[in-house]
Amino acid sequence: MTGFTLEVRDVTKRYGDGPTAVSAVRGVSLAVQPGEVVLIMGPSGSGKTTLLSMMGALLSPTSGTISLDGTVISALGEGRLPEIRLRKFGFIFQDFNLLSALSVLENVAIVAELAGHKRGEAREKATQILTELGLQERLRFLPEKLSGGEKQRVAIARALVNDPALLLADEPTANLDSAIGHEIMRILRRVAKEKGRAVVIVSHDQRIRDIADRVLWLEDGEFAEAIELATDPVCGMSVERAKATTAERDGATLFFCSRGCRAEFLGQLPTDGIDPASA
Amino acid sequence: MLLALRNLTHDRTRFALSVAGVSLAVMLILLLSGYRAGIYRQTAEYLDHAPGSVVVAQRGVRDFLAANSILPPGAAKAVADVPGVARVVPVVAQTAIVELNGRKELVYFIGYDPGIGGGPWSLTEGREPTAEGEVVFDRVMAAEHGIRLGDHVTVLGGSLTVVGLSDETALWIGSFVFADSSTIESLMRAPAAQSFLFVTPQPGVKPNELRGRIHVQGIDAMLKADVIVADQRLLARVYDAAIGLMTAIAFFVGVLVVGLTVYTATIERRREYGALKALGAGNRVLYRIVAIQALIAGVTGAALGTLLAYGLGRLFVAWRPQFPVTIEPTAILVALGVSVAMAVLAALVPARAIARLAPADVFR
Ligand SMILES: Nc1ncnc2c1ncn2[C@@H]1O[C@H](COP(=O)(O)OP(=O)(O)O)[C@@H](O)[C@H]1O
Ligand SMILES: [Mg+2]
Repeated sequence: MTGFTLEVRDVTKRYGDGPTAVSAVRGVSLAVQPGEVVLIMGPSGSGKTTLLSMMGALLSPTSGTISLDGTVISALGEGRLPEIRLRKFGFIFQDFNLLSALSVLENVAIVAELAGHKRGEAREKATQILTELGLQERLRFLPEKLSGGEKQRVAIARALVNDPALLLADEPTANLDSAIGHEIMRILRRVAKEKGRAVVIVSHDQRIRDIADRVLWLEDGEFAEAIELATDPVCGMSVERAKATTAERDGATLFFCSRGCRAEFLGQLPTDGIDPASA
Repeated sequence: MLLALRNLTHDRTRFALSVAGVSLAVMLILLLSGYRAGIYRQTAEYLDHAPGSVVVAQRGVRDFLAANSILPPGAAKAVADVPGVARVVPVVAQTAIVELNGRKELVYFIGYDPGIGGGPWSLTEGREPTAEGEVVFDRVMAAEHGIRLGDHVTVLGGSLTVVGLSDETALWIGSFVFADSSTIESLMRAPAAQSFLFVTPQPGVKPNELRGRIHVQGIDAMLKADVIVADQRLLARVYDAAIGLMTAIAFFVGVLVVGLTVYTATIERRREYGALKALGAGNRVLYRIVAIQALIAGVTGAALGTLLAYGLGRLFVAWRPQFPVTIEPTAILVALGVSVAMAVLAALVPARAIARLAPADVFR
């Protein structure tokens, strides 16, 4: 017994081969425990989605192993994976991916039916979870009639209906405004804490850091260790302190993503004509 | 499965399109095969109703409708004397192109003895001929030429009085005209001629056995069933190639329409199917969803197509009675089979797209 839900060991993913090969993830290791909320952050193209897909058995690693409750799932054949995806993982997507022809209730129930529940049973389970998520008034609605936050709550219900050990979410708040995004994050945290599930969230949204137990920074396919982050006061992007352009004001150090932001902050006009320095 | 049904009702236009595709294809196939069946039946109609089970013709003649047969004198008597023969019905049959109201028509003149048999079996109006110069016309041809009961018609130089109109006696190339044998003989200037004998065996004598016993100079005895087949080979089979080709095209177009609509529906919902895969649905579940959609469209289309075929078939027969369309009740089974086959083939079109759908792609 490791006590871990999911263990990722020295995992690498290369897309393509030869000179055009891209190493999206390089030698990453991590372990996720029940009840834990892990947030994976990093710039666009850093390999977050690739890593999450491998953790959820949607993609097989080029090397390294991924094990779930002691079973090495990265070694299983494609024939065994649907069953594992169905019962062990719950997925939440950036653009919700609800089935547009089905009602809210049916969207959730169909996943329970896939797992072998009878229709009535599946509907009962779905109703219960949707009610817990405050959607009891929306059961008969089609997804197109829902707000973004409601859609994502339906997606969470769908991810939870088969009692998965692990919930995997890729940019779950990217299409939501910040208040709703925060609410979704709180729901995910509650799911982890109350039901003892592990939750892994991929995001580059700084605003949701506070709900995570652990934040990991992925860059160029590798976890950066002990990277200290700061928020650019102009554009709001996360920046690494060590690499950022800085400025002093009132005795405090400020960090910027670029010289442009720094210049703007300092009240220097953005270059209107041709910047002689860059010309 | 529920999802299949909901997907269909969710995009109604597409569903309507595939149903329309199937129903048109099924309708065409039923009408074409109904037409073919009608032609075959029409070709066999007279012999089917003629008495007996053995046909005697001039030596070397193998069919009834397309042959000129003249029996040697005394043939009827000789055949009647063969042991096992119960009844012999002679007819004079003569094909002629006649001019009616300035239009040329192919006519099968049948001269028969109303007291013995070989004449029309169903009259819509009037009676059988009883005297020389009286004829029964096919009702379709009569209607086309505005010929009514009691009219005098000049045919091949002779004046005939229409005393009856017969049903089921139209062929796509012409029609039957029945008269007393003496009328035909004088019309054809061939006294005492006989063309065919319809022979009925005595109870307990098998037709084929009787056929083998008839050895008379200058004639051949054949099973009536074989003569019907020979007629159909000559007069009905000409349609087979064209009808077969059109049926195949209709089938193919049906498959194509359903296949394309199912395919575009699948491609359009690629993300949804990808999400389902990520959530744990295997390829088989997704195939089934797509196949059920195709099947529902197929069976609905089959039902609609069958109704359309019956309706249009009736209209067509009313409009052109000499071109019969006979849709048998078994056609419903044919339609169902055809549509299921179309649906299964159509469902194969998007199968590859589904198999290639990588679940990880839903994150893109
Ligand atoms: N299917 C793929 N084929 C080839 N390259 C890919 C594929 N998916 C991702 N990549 C590349 O791998 C790198 C990591 O991508 P991704 O995991 O999507 O990063 P993130 O989610 O952090 O933006 C990028 O350089 C991307 O172009
Ligand atoms: Mg991504």
